[in-house]
Amino acid sequence: MIVCVAVVGHQNNPLYLQSFTGSDDALKLHHIVHCSLDVIDERVNNPKRSASTLNETFLGLLYPTENYKVYGYLTNTKVKFIMVTTDLDVKDADVRSFFRKFHAAYVDAVCNPFHVPGKKITSNSFSERVGTIVRSFGPSMTL
Amino acid sequence: MIGVGKPKQYGNVLDKPLSRGRQEVSLSAFAFLFSELVQYNQTQVDNIAELERRLEDAGYAVGARVLELLCHRDKGNRRETRLLGILSFIHSTVWKVLFGKVADSLEKGTEHEDEYMISEKELLVNRFISVPKDMGAFNCGAFVAGIVRGVLDGAGFPAVVTAHFVPIEGQQRPRTTILIKFAEEVLRREARLG
Repeated sequence: MIVCVAVVGHQNNPLYLQSFTGSDDALKLHHIVHCSLDVIDERVNNPKRSASTLNETFLGLLYPTENYKVYGYLTNTKVKFIMVTTDLDVKDADVRSFFRKFHAAYVDAVCNPFHVPGKKITSNSFSERVGTIVRSFGPSMTL
Repeated sequence: MIGVGKPKQYGNVLDKPLSRGRQEVSLSAFAFLFSELVQYNQTQVDNIAELERRLEDAGYAVGARVLELLCHRDKGNRRETRLLGILSFIHSTVWKVLFGKVADSLEKGTEHEDEYMISEKELLVNRFISVPKDMGAFNCGAFVAGIVRGVLDGAGFPAVVTAHFVPIEGQQRPRTTILIKFAEEVLRREARLG
């Protein structure tokens, strides 16, 4: 179950933050997202293997906390997508396909000529699409 | 059997499947829109430098969005971190998507380390434009220079990009060259990456 998704700009400014549980957890989730930004920076600036992972967009599991897992994805323009989930047995392929759909929705929102890059994403259709993608996330692999 | 092998006839136009559509816009529509853009900006400014800057800013917004779109569509999971990588990406992929063909050439400048040039015999945006003599060296390719700057900036390679006419002997119309001058930090990072 995904509890929170976030889009963070290239100067670590938040562009979109949406949580999908009750609001009492929202602050904690925002804090988790904020801490995971540090992990992303670390991964990007000090790659473990020198050349092969330097170009990857999907960053994988950033860090697990007590009952959440945080996944990260980096686009070509240093915009980061962060996803917090409570599932314990989520498959890598599921997360990758989730991020691919999320990236598509993000690109569509950015191509809006009235969207100012660097400002928050305020499009309603983007929120709806994200909601649909999040709801359809789960151990369902199309064969 | 009857009907097998014949294309299915749709009784109602609403039953036809939606095709993906052509991925192109007509050149005349674009030329018209671009000419209106130039004319509109011309009424708003007093001098040529300002006009060039406005066209460049318009191109910058296009470039930023084109980068996001192309990276998602074509590049799969890779991110460009090297200078030559991003330049060849612009020279082939971006040019192909925007203008239907790859750029004519990509060269490295001889005088300075940080200069690169993309040249084109005739820029698509300039095809129906003739610049009056009193406007001097003004080039509507500033729009394309803005697009390139938007792509480079979004990918993390800040640069100053300008468009110039380069006269070639033997040809009536001069070639257009987009000159890209990278910022200091890009060269330092490139040297660090080895």
